[in-house]
Amino acid sequence: MTRQQPSGDTNMVLYAEDVERMNRLLDEFLRLSAARLAFLVDRTGRVITRRGQDLRLDVETLGALAAGTFAATREMARLAGEEQFSGMTHQGQRTHMHIARVEDRTLFAVLFDEKTTLGMVKLYAGEAARRLAAVFDEMRTRRTTPAEALEAGFGQSAKSALDQLLRD
Amino acid sequence: MVQINFALREVNCKIVYYGPGMSGKTTNLEVIHRRAPEGHRGELTSIATEGDRTLFFDFMPLDLGTIAGMKTKFQLYTVPGQVYYNSTRKLVLQGVDGVVFVADSSPAKMEENLQSFANLEENLREYGRELSDLAHVIQLNKRDLPDALPVAELNQRLNKYRATTYEAIAMTGEGVFPTLKALASAVLESINRMEPKTKGAAPVPTPVAVGAAVAAPAAAAAPAGIVRTGPAFAPAGPAPVAAAASAGMGAHAPPGTGAGPGRFTRFAMPVEGGGSPREPGGALGGSAPAPPVAVAPSPVVRPYAAPNARTDIGPVAVPPAPRAAAPRPVVARPNAPARVVARPVAAAPAARPAPPAAKPSGGGRSNLVYAAVFGALVTAAAFGVLLLLR
Repeated sequence: MTRQQPSGDTNMVLYAEDVERMNRLLDEFLRLSAARLAFLVDRTGRVITRRGQDLRLDVETLGALAAGTFAATREMARLAGEEQFSGMTHQGQRTHMHIARVEDRTLFAVLFDEKTTLGMVKLYAGEAARRLAAVFDEMRTRRTTPAEALEAGFGQSAKSALDQLLRD
Repeated sequence: MVQINFALREVNCKIVYYGPGMSGKTTNLEVIHRRAPEGHRGELTSIATEGDRTLFFDFMPLDLGTIAGMKTKFQLYTVPGQVYYNSTRKLVLQGVDGVVFVADSSPAKMEENLQSFANLEENLREYGRELSDLAHVIQLNKRDLPDALPVAELNQRLNKYRATTYEAIAMTGEGVFPTLKALASAVLESINRMEPKTKGAAPVPTPVAVGAAVAAPAAAAAPAGIVRTGPAFAPAGPAPVAAAASAGMGAHAPPGTGAGPGRFTRFAMPVEGGGSPREPGGALGGSAPAPPVAVAPSPVVRPYAAPNARTDIGPVAVPPAPRAAAPRPVVARPNAPARVVARPVAAAPAARPAPPAAKPSGGGRSNLVYAAVFGALVTAAAFGVLLLLR
């Protein structure tokens, strides 16, 4: 068993302006590819952002399953002697799904139907993934961030809410 | 890896239920799903074999509500307990913020408990993490077994890092909420610890390492007498169940008496010798999807480069060109010059910004040539007619 990169041990903090840049790239991708829904999910299965139609879909669960499936695919690649598979596709009767790797911690998932083709989706998803990777790279390397932060006492308030929610 | 998303105004934490096969991890999630108030629980998704054993993981989002302007959510996962599913078990541990280790109190399962605990540590190390640094609690499940091991013995053999332990009978729901509450509190503590680093005018964006050493989590959160902390734990009496009941475990309502069940999806895969699948839940539920982030249109985003390198994506790639109205080939029609001339030279505008395939072909120029030739022929014929008339 190979040792994984410990990069997953750190928090992912996403600021509004970064996510808006991602949203613009996703919107552009949707316009060009004619796909229905595009979303970004971190490798632990948590959705970063979503764009397109079908916003009422349970993207949260979809993201968790997509991340799990992609992780399994990476393990399959390793067993097959590949470092990783860069993407995977699920084909349905009417709706299909394509998942592409953006960078180590992020995946790009797309739902599409007969209004477009797998070729179109893969083509533009590849380009979008490259651009999104650049955004994540910039997020990691810059020295200053927007002045967004959790409010003081967040943890304490959250614990009170937890007591209320899980009351026996 | 806590995800703090200021765009969606969300804080997301990942909690994993770990332990040997059949120790009650999925049952814990089912109870939480049944009892958590509607509107706070998402769909319970389970990928299981036909024999009702978890194949990949169970998943359920739990919405704590909006805390200080941030929607705070826990993603609850279980892992498959069987030894041979270690690959998938390890994958589920990616980016975990807290672990509930569900131990089986049966004496026959003690070895499996120990193996699973060692496996948890080993798998975390694969990600460069240590259980001693990670928020975790231990749930001693199946306390209603007549031959259940004494809590002190389980504690002594399993609890390497003095984590808080809880007695539970997950089948009836007893001890399930206190366990989750204690772990969730510990995870929230870890966010508290990173708060000073995210506050301020210009915090350095370097993500803050999480992974709190488990301090004794909110003792007040758990019913008195059930929380057992560390090796200092007093030996249990000869009748643990009775002791637990007197301590308040019996106060739990039996399953099904809480809020109505939300949606419970369990994807079954055939397996040889499988038993009967579990009963799915009833009515639909599920958390409302988070609203999309309103974003202005993107004039600044450069359109994608023309997909010249189609060969990169293999034979399945379909050129986008057909979506643009390509110019039709012009057929020579010498007897209809007016129609040829009237046709626009440029092709119809493309429906979307299209790749360069929709290039004008020069058909308009050849139409002019045909028109000129036709005109010359008509003139020549007119001259011929005049000559004949003379």
